[in-house]
Amino acid sequence: MSPDQFLNELQAQGLVAPEQAATIRKDEQTRPFSVHYEVRTLLYLGIVLLTGGLGILLYQHIDEIGHGVIVAIITLLTAACFGYAERYRVPFTWAEVPRKGFVPDYVLLLGCLLFLSLEGYVQYQYGIFGTRYGLAVFVPAVLFFWVAYLFDHRGVLSMAITALASWLGVSVAPLSAFTDNHFRSLSGAALGLGVVLLVVGLWSEYQNRKRHFSFTYISLGSNLALLAATASLLEVYPNSWLSPFAAAALILVMSGFLVWYARRAHSYLFVLLSAVYSYIVVTYLFIRFVDRSTSHDEGLLLSLYFLLSCFGVLVFFLNIKKILRINS
Amino acid sequence: MNWKAYNPNWAHREAVRAAATRWQKRGLLSSLQLAAIVAAHPLDYYRPNIFLRITLFIFTIIGLSAASGFMALLFSGGFHSGTEEVMLVTIAVLTIAGGLVLLEFAIKDSHLYHSGIDNAILYYILSWTVFLLAYIIYELAPIGYRASSSLTSPNTNTLLLLTLPVLLAATVRYADRLVAAAAYATYLLLLASVLLRFPIGRLLLPFVVMLASAAAYFLVKKLAQRPDYLYYKPCLQALKVLSLVTFYLGGNYWVVREGNALLSDTGLSTQVPFAWLFYFLTAGIPIAYLVVGLRRHDRIWLLVGILLVAFSVFTFRHYYSVLPAEIAATLAGAVLIASMIGATRYLRTPRHGLTTAADDEDDTRKINLESLIVAQTANVPQPAEAGFEFGGGRSGGGGAEGTY
Repeated sequence: MSPDQFLNELQAQGLVAPEQAATIRKDEQTRPFSVHYEVRTLLYLGIVLLTGGLGILLYQHIDEIGHGVIVAIITLLTAACFGYAERYRVPFTWAEVPRKGFVPDYVLLLGCLLFLSLEGYVQYQYGIFGTRYGLAVFVPAVLFFWVAYLFDHRGVLSMAITALASWLGVSVAPLSAFTDNHFRSLSGAALGLGVVLLVVGLWSEYQNRKRHFSFTYISLGSNLALLAATASLLEVYPNSWLSPFAAAALILVMSGFLVWYARRAHSYLFVLLSAVYSYIVVTYLFIRFVDRSTSHDEGLLLSLYFLLSCFGVLVFFLNIKKILRINS
Repeated sequence: MNWKAYNPNWAHREAVRAAATRWQKRGLLSSLQLAAIVAAHPLDYYRPNIFLRITLFIFTIIGLSAASGFMALLFSGGFHSGTEEVMLVTIAVLTIAGGLVLLEFAIKDSHLYHSGIDNAILYYILSWTVFLLAYIIYELAPIGYRASSSLTSPNTNTLLLLTLPVLLAATVRYADRLVAAAAYATYLLLLASVLLRFPIGRLLLPFVVMLASAAAYFLVKKLAQRPDYLYYKPCLQALKVLSLVTFYLGGNYWVVREGNALLSDTGLSTQVPFAWLFYFLTAGIPIAYLVVGLRRHDRIWLLVGILLVAFSVFTFRHYYSVLPAEIAATLAGAVLIASMIGATRYLRTPRHGLTTAADDEDDTRKINLESLIVAQTANVPQPAEAGFEFGGGRSGGGGAEGTY
């Protein structure tokens, strides 16, 4: 079945006029093949390779005579990247600005990553921030927020949020739950930052201040907050200020909010997040409850619980459109 | 006799809608016409967004496992000790039968169409079926036949031989791409398992794999001509990717050399016969894929080619480290950036039938996901206690071997 056959059918049904069908056929044959996403992906891969390699080079040759050359090159490169991006910059507005191609966006990203390597080096060699190591992360965070808003760049915004989190000693990388074993980082600071990011995301959506940034804020913020609350629920990190039940309530409230938001924004990533986290909470509470009652049929009860609860979840999702009154 | 589980019209209507939407975006159809086409091609199946599908998949798997567990616990009272085999087989049979009924019922009743739920049930049934087959063959075979479970044992041959028709039948009925992929893997394993029983098999294996992949590719091309192509499109595309990949892997130097080491008695990785041929294939195939992909406007060839170039680089660096990893990464990054910027400028006006402009204007979602990728991969340093660890960032994996 090719578009050609579709056209024949549509023409036979009287949905497409014959001349139109001829135009479409011609367009199908002459339409260029888009390698847009392939080029973008390779460009990003190149940026990651280049900045990663340069970062390591810088530290390996830190005591050699050649390091000055490398620093000079990186400084020039960083300046060139920002200069290039500036040349293509569209004047600032609070709305999403129209793009002039994607290359300037990636060059800006490259500039920001190079700046990080450079700043780290300068701190190491000259100690410009002294022993206030926090400041060394806070400076790029501020700079990146400014750059993200000035150039209307969601990737740099992610980096700014990552740097801000890093300043607080938290990792916001979406998969950090699987890669980061420092549960120390999943503390009150993580929860606080997560909630702040959520609020900022909502603010930008409602106030129409860079509305398209809200996805980045809310996805990173909600994942962080839910992860931190779940960690404290499961008492991975014993903390005195948030009881497990307060954490459970918090997760459920946040999940409810995310489902509401997902419906609003038509972004079902949030439904996945909230479903998984709230199921963990409910299951945890159920197991605690079963543990307390000294029933000898625990295994049976648990398997029945999983069976019925999953069935319930599935029925909920099968009827989600009716339940949440989504029309799309 | 209709052996398709889902309504074949769904795939057809979906494809017509997609084509019409594309034409409307390109300004070839009016939005009124698009609305009329959409109305004439109603879709009443249930297949939500990818994230919801993942959610549904997870919960279905948990629920099904709980059902099997529940059954096992119920039965454990009814069977005497020493009859565990009977109990296990009973549970397997009940799970498979119950699962099949559930699957058919769910598709008929709730109009599920690769929605996560039906995929999960199907995989669950098939896993139990393969498990049951393996259990019967390995455990319940007469004592004299109880052989090792190595790849070349007769038992493994039998298992693969029995698994293949099950997977093929499931593919024909449910048109699931993962099942199709599993069937393809079984087919190759079966070939290898038979071939390796002969002394010369080890030498021939790479060429047989390449031949078998090429055969599969041409079969897929032939099947794509059928009128029910759209129903099987996901499967056939998956098979196309896999046959291209396995054709390359059959001739890849690293795979051949390390595979040989794995299969030999000594386990040592030594130079292989016809090494020059495998060097040539390792270097040549990815480039050929890229060229074909760009010339014939075939995205599958192109993407597979890009991935395999990376694998060939890995293969080369595994045996010859010409440059330290960090210098290689820096250079490769610089070359990639420069060439991609160059390509973008060159293709600003489409040339050779290629363009770097996006096919669809509405790429907000993809950019959103991209920002998550940046958050995951762009390494912002942690404030370190001692200034030494500060900075750097991790290498994107340009080389495999470097120690740093």
